[in-house]
Amino acid sequence: MARMKFLCDADRCIECNACVTACKNEHEVPWGINRRRVITLNDGKPGERSVSMACMHCTDAPCAAVCPVNCFYTTADAVVLHSKDLCIGCGYCFYACPFGAPQYPRVGNFGSRGKMDKCTYCSGGPEADLSVAEYEKYGSNRLAEGKLPLCAEMCSTKSLLAGDGEMIAQIYKERVIKRGYGSGAWGWKTAYRETIAI
Amino acid sequence: MRRLTSIALLAATLALTVPAVAQVRAPDGAPNPTASSVNEEMLFKQDPKIHGRISIPNATAANLIQPQGREWREFRESWMPWIGALAVLGMIAALGLFYFTRGRIRLEHSEESGKKILRFNGFERFSHWMTASCFIVLSLSGLNYIFGKRLLMPLIGPEAFATLAQYGKYAHIYLAWPFMLGVLFMLVLWIKDNIPGKIDWIWLKQGGGLLGDAHPSAGRFNAGQKMVFWMVVGFGLAMGATGIMMIFPFAATDINGMQVMQVIHSLIGVVFIAGILAHIYIGSLGMEGAYDAMGSGEVDLAWAKVHHDLWVKEQQAKTASGPQLGRGQVPAE
Amino acid sequence: MKAFLVAVAAALVLATAASFLLAENQRFAYQAFATSGARVSDPGTNLVGPRWTGDIKEPGAAGHKPAGHKAEAGS
Repeated sequence: MARMKFLCDADRCIECNACVTACKNEHEVPWGINRRRVITLNDGKPGERSVSMACMHCTDAPCAAVCPVNCFYTTADAVVLHSKDLCIGCGYCFYACPFGAPQYPRVGNFGSRGKMDKCTYCSGGPEADLSVAEYEKYGSNRLAEGKLPLCAEMCSTKSLLAGDGEMIAQIYKERVIKRGYGSGAWGWKTAYRETIAI
Repeated sequence: MRRLTSIALLAATLALTVPAVAQVRAPDGAPNPTASSVNEEMLFKQDPKIHGRISIPNATAANLIQPQGREWREFRESWMPWIGALAVLGMIAALGLFYFTRGRIRLEHSEESGKKILRFNGFERFSHWMTASCFIVLSLSGLNYIFGKRLLMPLIGPEAFATLAQYGKYAHIYLAWPFMLGVLFMLVLWIKDNIPGKIDWIWLKQGGGLLGDAHPSAGRFNAGQKMVFWMVVGFGLAMGATGIMMIFPFAATDINGMQVMQVIHSLIGVVFIAGILAHIYIGSLGMEGAYDAMGSGEVDLAWAKVHHDLWVKEQQAKTASGPQLGRGQVPAE
Repeated sequence: MKAFLVAVAAALVLATAASFLLAENQRFAYQAFATSGARVSDPGTNLVGPRWTGDIKEPGAAGHKPAGHKAEAGS
């Protein structure tokens, strides 16, 4: 099976937020919950870069390790998913996550923040693929339909890449060699303990 | 003349600068846009986390990468289960060993056996039991965060365990408030009797009557009880402060602060549980007659004279008729 | 024993009170992180919500109408 990863080519990202909008629309994500977000570094200064970030579906995911009810699981495609039926909303994944991916429907206190929500790599949850229950809780399951995550699919500059880690790394490498520069695969070292050698 | 010089200087500066910019070029001759671009390594050298600007109103989402969670994970998953198990099981083992070697500390009968003296009034017992009952639920639900998935989940299955853990979390967050209130009540009630003094040193040097057969004198609370008092007050307030900072995320501290709070909260938590286990032991199984102090509030005068001689003298001096109460008589509060 | 029962009852009452006070302080993410943009519908709380039927034949007939939240504009 493929080892699914995200890669944001910051030299191409124009901070259009189309990935964010696509994600929200595809999964009917409520307002205030951002499975994906775009962060601008060095804003307004020379060398400004924007990076689109969501759950990176880490290797040996920290959220899964710290969860007190073991509600996380990794699919055959190495996508880190969780069960909203088991989640108790304790917020430990949110302490452990290096990318700030876990989101909660309520924000005031941890007493009743509700079930955690995060990027599913457009592959739903533990319910049967493409079922109503799955759509209600986790949004659509594009992977089960043979499609890749919508954020990357509709990225206007093809900055955000999703797919098998080796394939997207190859695409990125070719780009860097062709254009002569690249600011690296953001978050890969933290998420996958490896980076793309060029 | 002056103007000419400055123009010449400007021209010279420009001449020097322009080629410098032009030098940074991509292989195809295009200007290299990454000449001054940020990269991960550089940003991590400046700061342990990468922070930027975000257009959504959730300001905490502006952190791109914050790898400190890995250290917190290391603590929580690799260290905490061992520390917790060592503290709790170690204390249970120590108490078991003590029980089987020393045995139950028996009530020593004298001619005053059967007479009762009021040790804790209704409000004192109420404060104690409110704190104690909350503590038991808090400690069990707290231990569940660490050990639940390791011990309980394989036994009862993920669904039942998740439901239990959900109620445990509610109990942990909501019962924390009466617990904190109880700690404050006890602090106000008993601080005047818990100031350490010279007598406590003597009590400790004689082993407190736990290790030998000696009965060193003690006031209302002996050195051991004072230690329990200060442990409950100190740990209770620390648990409350760190807990509140975690209940209200980002109210007082950022994500790294909350990680540190969780570490402190869990470390103090397991030591607190171990300490309270010893307190429960000596207050019930470990010593005959001790439980009455918090049960009915009245203790056997013989017991009181042996264990809290100075306090009994003080009480008897206070009331001319003596502090003895008949059975069933409601103590004045 | 009486003091113990009163203490347990008081703890439960205080915990219930705390739960209401904490819930009072609780805000939905869609309220906390809202901007002043135009609102065309109710935001909902958790994806499409439990009332979603899967029937998407007619536009707007998805059965998704969370009660209690006033739409600020439009609809």
